[in-house]
Amino acid sequence: MIALAVALPLLGAFLLPLMGPLKRVFGPAVLLAVAALALSVWPQAQAEPFAVAIGEFRAPLGIVFYVDGVAALFTLAVALVCLLLWPWSTPTEDATAKQSLTLILAGACAGLAVSGDLFNIYVFYELVAVASYGLAAGSGSAAGYAAAFRYLVLSSLASMLALIGITLIYYRTGTVNLAHLAQVAPDALHDPLGLAAFLLLLLGLGVKAELFPVNAWVPEVYATAERRVAALLAGLVSKLALLVLVRLLVLVFPLDPARFALLALGTLGILSGELAAYRARDLARMLSWSSIGQLGIAFVAFAIPGKAGVVAGLAVALHHLIAKPALFLLAERWGGSIEGLAGAGRRSKLGGALFVLFALSLVGVPPLPGFWAKLLVLSGLAAQEGGAWWLAAAVILAMTVVEAAYLFRVVGRLYAPDTDDESQPHGAAYLAAAGILGLCLIAGSVSAGPLGHALGRMAAQVGDRDAYIARVLPAGETRP
Amino acid sequence: MNELTTVLLYVGAIGLLAIGIAGVLLSRHLFRIVLALSIAESGGNLLLVLTGFRWNAVAPIIEGAAQGTMVDPVPQAMVLTSIVIGVGVQALALAMAVRLRQAYGTLDIREIRARMEQDISDAADVVPPRSQQEPAGGRPLPPPSTAGLLTSKGSQA
Repeated sequence: MIALAVALPLLGAFLLPLMGPLKRVFGPAVLLAVAALALSVWPQAQAEPFAVAIGEFRAPLGIVFYVDGVAALFTLAVALVCLLLWPWSTPTEDATAKQSLTLILAGACAGLAVSGDLFNIYVFYELVAVASYGLAAGSGSAAGYAAAFRYLVLSSLASMLALIGITLIYYRTGTVNLAHLAQVAPDALHDPLGLAAFLLLLLGLGVKAELFPVNAWVPEVYATAERRVAALLAGLVSKLALLVLVRLLVLVFPLDPARFALLALGTLGILSGELAAYRARDLARMLSWSSIGQLGIAFVAFAIPGKAGVVAGLAVALHHLIAKPALFLLAERWGGSIEGLAGAGRRSKLGGALFVLFALSLVGVPPLPGFWAKLLVLSGLAAQEGGAWWLAAAVILAMTVVEAAYLFRVVGRLYAPDTDDESQPHGAAYLAAAGILGLCLIAGSVSAGPLGHALGRMAAQVGDRDAYIARVLPAGETRP
Repeated sequence: MNELTTVLLYVGAIGLLAIGIAGVLLSRHLFRIVLALSIAESGGNLLLVLTGFRWNAVAPIIEGAAQGTMVDPVPQAMVLTSIVIGVGVQALALAMAVRLRQAYGTLDIREIRARMEQDISDAADVVPPRSQQEPAGGRPLPPPSTAGLLTSKGSQA
């Protein structure tokens, strides 16, 4: 069943151009079907995760999908976010291409969420990458092509590093199945070669997750692509790459050096992202840099060992998944420099109010979910022994101040007294999408308690290595 | 003998990788960058095939499975996938290079990057931050080549 959530959008992407009069509703219908599939497996996945062997070929030789609470949650998020950011427009050839690419992106993202096999993850990751190159170049401007080309070169170089990482793992263990790898990793991979493989995979998958040294593409692409695409890449794709890295870290490489690498790169990402955002003078690039900083916090959170780290990381990732697309949607009509935004919040009342709401949540003002996410990270860091953890906590606190400074500078400009009526009001579709995300945010802050419990359950499932192995390899098979 | 060849093959694979990565980082010409990517990918693929290779293996589909060992088929299947992905990405990269040539009239990545930064700053209505290396007074960029724009259909100047 869950395999359809991956297959339907991929099939739909290629059927879409042939749909004729049904074109307008076909893509959203496919995404709704994916959402329904995710909901149909939801109760079972939350209660008891299960593995699906594709074509009845059992692991470790066959390909498996592993569906736990987090996988179901992210599959649902993929469908809903793609639906929210769907390129509604007149069915020209150009729009059809964009809709097809969005469907491919959705299918591949769902694949990343449920895949239980390292090589399949690589293939889905490449699918996501190719779809995102197309979407990034989709604005049609020369700068858009330049940014997309540079993104393509960086990303394919990094994918190759990831492939070499997979090669090293296969060379050592003779398998690419995650459960089987988890079984043999303590003997075969917990050594310098295994660590090298992890670092290669970290760099390779880190490109989409905006990891510190490989994120040069972020501000260029987000500034030149359509805001909808920036929202999709920053909000959705980065989270799926993050999820894959967490699975690797929990199942195959629960090593201190691996955690430390994640912690160090995450901390550097927070520092560089937030400071660059402070210097940025237009809204789009400010939001891109801030996104790098936010994902740095998620990396730091996932570096914390044990369940506390997974809970905190999931909270940060989900909060960013809701907040950043909304901010990019609001930035659609606020393209110019921040100075030029004077009074824009007075003219577009709802847009201004939503921007303030999301800015407050990003900074972490108490009743909003952003506060709880940061609190979880900081308490997790404080519980660890050692200077590096406390340094990371100090960096997060200091950079929160910087974050507040630049976001409130924008808010100040939005409500500055100004009479010239330059900026246009927001498009209804964009404002509605941002409004829905805002409602999600408010609902999240109202039901913070139950949400925290649900996250805790999911994190326990993600962190349970032995259960993962037992569910995928039921007979205790060790060799193929 | 076989061991020596194996070592040579590994050296070759890693050498191809190094050449490719150096090429991507050091080249300025778009086409050379794509070419270097392709070389690096060949190195990576060779490395992957080598992990499962055996010298004394036979092809079981011809000789029969009982005749001896066979090479590990899993890396070969993976390399096939990886080659196909690589071809697709390179074609896309070349298509984008064509569009860039039409739009900016150059294939020099550094010039394209400078123009892109300029375009982003213009679109955002801000003055780009001044580079440390730039001579005072700025360095004018050459105008876009109109030849490419006039001859090509559907350019996005």
